[in-house]
Amino acid sequence: MSSPSLTLPSQERPTARRRLLEILGALAIAATYVYLVLNQPADITGGPGSASALIALTGFLAGAVLLIAAVLPTLPASTLVLIPVALVLNIILGQFVGSTLVPFYLDAIGTVLIAVLAGPAAGAATGALSSIVWSFFNPTVLPFAAGAALIGCLAGLAARYGLFRRFYLAPVAGFITGIIAGVVSAPVAAFVFGGTSGVATGAIVSAFRAMGDTLLAAITKQALLSDPMDKAIVFTIVAVLVYALPGRTRQQFPFIRRHRVLAGTNAAPAGKVDARAGASGQANDPTLNG
Amino acid sequence: MSVSPAGRTLPAPRHRRVNPLTLLAAAGSAAAITTAAADWVLSVAVVAACLGLSAAAGTARRVVPAAAAVLVPLGLSLLVLHGLFFPEGRTVLAEWGPARITAEGLQFAVQRILQLAAVVLALLLFSFSVSVPDLVAALSARGVQGRFAFVLASTLTLLPAIAGRARSIRQAQESRGLVISRGLASRVAAFRLQAVPLVLSLIEDAGTRAAALEARGLGNAGPRTSYREVPDSVLQRAVRVLLVLAALAAVVARVVQAGANG
Repeated sequence: MSSPSLTLPSQERPTARRRLLEILGALAIAATYVYLVLNQPADITGGPGSASALIALTGFLAGAVLLIAAVLPTLPASTLVLIPVALVLNIILGQFVGSTLVPFYLDAIGTVLIAVLAGPAAGAATGALSSIVWSFFNPTVLPFAAGAALIGCLAGLAARYGLFRRFYLAPVAGFITGIIAGVVSAPVAAFVFGGTSGVATGAIVSAFRAMGDTLLAAITKQALLSDPMDKAIVFTIVAVLVYALPGRTRQQFPFIRRHRVLAGTNAAPAGKVDARAGASGQANDPTLNG
Repeated sequence: MSVSPAGRTLPAPRHRRVNPLTLLAAAGSAAAITTAAADWVLSVAVVAACLGLSAAAGTARRVVPAAAAVLVPLGLSLLVLHGLFFPEGRTVLAEWGPARITAEGLQFAVQRILQLAAVVLALLLFSFSVSVPDLVAALSARGVQGRFAFVLASTLTLLPAIAGRARSIRQAQESRGLVISRGLASRVAAFRLQAVPLVLSLIEDAGTRAAALEARGLGNAGPRTSYREVPDSVLQRAVRVLLVLAALAAVVARVVQAGANG
């Protein structure tokens, strides 16, 4: 799905190579996670586990960069210009919440918003880019790029399969996303930081450590407490925002039209919706409407 | 943070003849080598070097608060976590209830904090001293997707603008009678009153920008010409290769060593 130029015929894109990059990126992330979980007991207490930290950093970052390289060139311009906006929303809201004594992060509102408006691939790219660009101000978010990409991808899939059509399903989808994202991000917190970056989340980890858990187990349990609630809140906020947008703005997005992501105005058959969107004077390309 | 708008020609900053990619390679390899070495002497040395460099470059006033905002909560969290609760610790210094201060726990926490401080300072020193338009031009010249450069430059430029818009929306709503009281419901309502106009206007703006960029050929394939010349030299190229090789060697050595021990 490329955005053809207004003046030139669109070129054939090497889609097989992009698909390969996507698969390699996902494999890098999965393999790193499996390696870290299998190898953790030997390393963590024997001094700072810097070999694990290096493997976590390299594997997750390489995976995130591969995903960006695969997805970014395929996005249409209308989605591409939304990504910086989403990153700014992530940074402004995340910076604010991170400095308070609440064990949440709320640093994915922009990512989830893009995922709902433009689909899982755009969501994954936005999540990974968000971590990379944010690290210009806060380098500690860089290792979480893979987790952020996963959140964007899962949010897009939730939207794709209609979980945003019913208002009460959005927090449920957020809760499940949070469980998966928390489990994947926990090794990063454990091996790269040896803890969590917030005071409130650190207190929760301390409680589990006091009960004699290993560091990875304690951080995973903390993530399972914080992340699902956090993502449920984020998904609810995004649902409120998306439903507050005027119908004309929502219908600009081919992903929303094609998969009937939202309830209400776009419940009409796809053909009718496309005709109406085209009639409202927007430069829709037929290839985007699938 | 004062981010210069991408693309505008800045008055040449005092004798800046260093390629942004050389700076990036230096910061990245410093971070990688410090993490790989896991040696507190090296960490302290890198922290000191970064502070000295930022003082010399005149960015210390911005780098130090930014680093403190990241490192102070992280450091406190690590000290409480490992200082009080470290079940693996043997040398108990003090004990009350379930909390035991152990020498091993404190050592672990301090070592981690120093290591992270070195990494954070090195990367922040880079991001606060690099010129964003130069970095974007250098990345595009290396064949990095123009799209990635667009996202990076656009985000850094939009950040102060959007923060300003959020402020004026809050002022507008307050002048229409928005009062935020302590209750949760009131906070949620206030958040909605501010977030909806903000997100709506941002998405509308983005649509306009998309049409403008599309008309200027953002989606086209083919070579691009940059009007911005980024300083580079054979020496800098060699230094970059050397730095990347050193970082790789440090990482490989560490992983091999860990494999031999474990």
